[in-house]
Amino acid sequence: MIGIGPADPRYPPRLLDLRCPPDPLWIDGDPVVLATRAVSLVGTRRMTPYGARVGRELAAACADAGVMVVSGLAQGVDSAAHQGALEGRGTTVAVLGAGIASYLQDTRGRRRRLAHAIRASGALVSEFPPESPPQKWTFAQRDSTIAALGELTVVVEAPVGSGALITAEEARRLGRPVYAVPGPIGVAASAGANALIASGKAKALTGVEMLLGVLELQAARRAQDDPDDEARVLDVLAASPLDPDALARRLGLGTTAVAAIVARLMIRGRIASTGDGRLARR
Amino acid sequence: MPLGRAPAQPLVIAITAPGRPATARSVARVTACALWGLETALVTVEVDVANGLPALVVVGLPDAAVQEARERVRAAIRNSGFEFPLRRVTVNLAPAERRKEGTGFELAIALGILRASGQLHVDVTALCLGELALDGALRPVRGTMPRVRHAARRGVPAALVADANAGEAAACGVESFGFASLREVVDHLEGRVRVAPTPVPPKAAAPAYPVDLAHIAGQETPKRALEIAAAGGHNILLVGPPGTGKTMLARALESILPPLDDAEALAASAVHSVAGLTDPRHPVLTARPFRAPHHTASHLSLVGGGSPPRPGEVSLAHCGALFLDEVAEFSRSVLDTLREPLEEHAITISRAGGAATYPARFVLVAAMNPCPCGFWGDAERDCACLPEQIERYRGKLSGPLLDRIDLRVHVPRVPFERLRDDGRERSADVRDRVLAARERMRVRLAATGRRVNADLTVSEVKRFCSVNSETEALLAEAVGARRLSARGYHRVLRVARTAADLAGSDGVRNEDVALALLLRSDP
Repeated sequence: MIGIGPADPRYPPRLLDLRCPPDPLWIDGDPVVLATRAVSLVGTRRMTPYGARVGRELAAACADAGVMVVSGLAQGVDSAAHQGALEGRGTTVAVLGAGIASYLQDTRGRRRRLAHAIRASGALVSEFPPESPPQKWTFAQRDSTIAALGELTVVVEAPVGSGALITAEEARRLGRPVYAVPGPIGVAASAGANALIASGKAKALTGVEMLLGVLELQAARRAQDDPDDEARVLDVLAASPLDPDALARRLGLGTTAVAAIVARLMIRGRIASTGDGRLARR
Repeated sequence: MPLGRAPAQPLVIAITAPGRPATARSVARVTACALWGLETALVTVEVDVANGLPALVVVGLPDAAVQEARERVRAAIRNSGFEFPLRRVTVNLAPAERRKEGTGFELAIALGILRASGQLHVDVTALCLGELALDGALRPVRGTMPRVRHAARRGVPAALVADANAGEAAACGVESFGFASLREVVDHLEGRVRVAPTPVPPKAAAPAYPVDLAHIAGQETPKRALEIAAAGGHNILLVGPPGTGKTMLARALESILPPLDDAEALAASAVHSVAGLTDPRHPVLTARPFRAPHHTASHLSLVGGGSPPRPGEVSLAHCGALFLDEVAEFSRSVLDTLREPLEEHAITISRAGGAATYPARFVLVAAMNPCPCGFWGDAERDCACLPEQIERYRGKLSGPLLDRIDLRVHVPRVPFERLRDDGRERSADVRDRVLAARERMRVRLAATGRRVNADLTVSEVKRFCSVNSETEALLAEAVGARRLSARGYHRVLRVARTAADLAGSDGVRNEDVALALLLRSDP
């Protein structure tokens, strides 16, 4: 782990745009990745299955195109974004709301494993001394740092009052583009993101292609051509995970026919069970 | 009696005088039966009445309850109008090397004492089971059915038991006599007042099930999964928001399980007998047991235990179904104790005094919410849970337990307009298909000793669940890409085998594998 100040040549250049850049910035990992092209992907802890899927898809697409994904390693959308980037064999950086040593010591389970994977592929970053514990205000402060580390910021799912909105606000102040993923009306988890779009503070992000277009990149992986029936299943599942009965009703097919299509898609890894028996796109 | 002043003079005479009549030293033998778990052994109660200081000694590894029998036997004999011999009475429970538990030996001990002291004039050849009250009344004992069945197999012709146990004893194929008191038993044996043998109790009418599949609207996939579970003996997990009918679906399982065959009925009834839950009017079960312990259940009540060991819910569900509602609310250590019964189909409870084994072959039906608040992924309600809370909640079902659950289905909220759907299938029709499928399994698995597809070993899966090359390639791809574990692969094939049996197909078809993949438990 190293701590570097703004004068250091390895200091991430985009952070210098901040009014008061973190001094020192603690980095556990490779400092070089912090200067590469990057997108900040943020969202709520209380994500829905939709947020989980979109977060992963966007991150995986960025990773595929060679763009680093910056996020905050919180539960929910942040973790989904890191996870998606790692699955896309890309680099990803987590900006922590606590000292790095303190975070690694206190976190257990899946996020701890994720933290080690992120350190191996990119870096863990914190503006707080290694041993300092998290406080309420440290999260708000690191939200600003996340905004500064990315060329642009995408808010995946955010309720009103979410920390992701602080990141969006900071990105706006820095003059970086802000995008928000629109969500269904009436779902609390998307209310903040929809409000960003409504107030003109963010542009609506319509898909992976749009994000790559903004970054002036080509999709590294061309969309697969699916046979008609499989494409229809994937279409129906795009909005939300469904149980097999509902899927069959939507498609107007029998359970047997749907089962056969679903089995093919599952085996190819295009869809998966959500853990409660419903099917979701991956 | 002036014992203190004349110390034991008759005793010296008894030992030293060879001329005493032989009748005073005769040994009486009466047959009883000991029970450890469901394991049984005939016990010969030997009673010797000899001259000496008045005493009643029980030897042959009796436990505390058997020791207490001395006081009850003494009072019961006196209060039934007999003499308790004022001599040294020794009771031996043979074979002597195993510990004897419970109160079932008291009738045999009392009859032995009466015989040895010359107050009963005939030998007792029947099995004697019963607890005595101080006034000589005969009380029922737990575990009558397995004990009488054991005696019947060993050629004991008749059983003398308490009235309340007479029905279960009669169901075991021996001549069974029920009595209210010790006096009645003696009168019967000596022919003064003959009691008629208890008739074999009539079978209970075909059970009426509280829930029929026709009562449940929609839920085609969960119903399909239940049918597969009933036919193939697969364990099943129902996941869905509160109020969507998980409990009703689980309850409907009993209505589609095949009826008990005779051997199963006796095995299940024996466990109920040991637990003291037998209905005296209908001692032999006709409906498959359906046990639904509450989620505050301790592991003692779930898998059995205590000292002396008693069967738990898993054993009471033997040959039937065990329903764990809100399974994630059970304590984790309690759930982990289910691993042994799920794997071995039996549970062994080891205690210092020995081990008791109870059978526990059941279909596990578990139900849970998708998250602690219940609304995760619900389109109409917002879920209030954090992702790691949800993970912890689902983590309650540990890997090894989840590994034994072949089917995992989502039970969705049914839209109001579909609640009145017509043309729903009745349980009776589904049960016919289940029966036909079981018959196919029976023929196919006759040589293996298994009954249902869920029990197939890996080599048997290879033998009986072959699929065509296209499907095989598809599955191989899934395993190769680590989307399906080796264990998951076999599980898919077992479920597919059952789906094919339900469809009346000899081979496992592509659509069966597809359905199994749809209903499989691990992502």
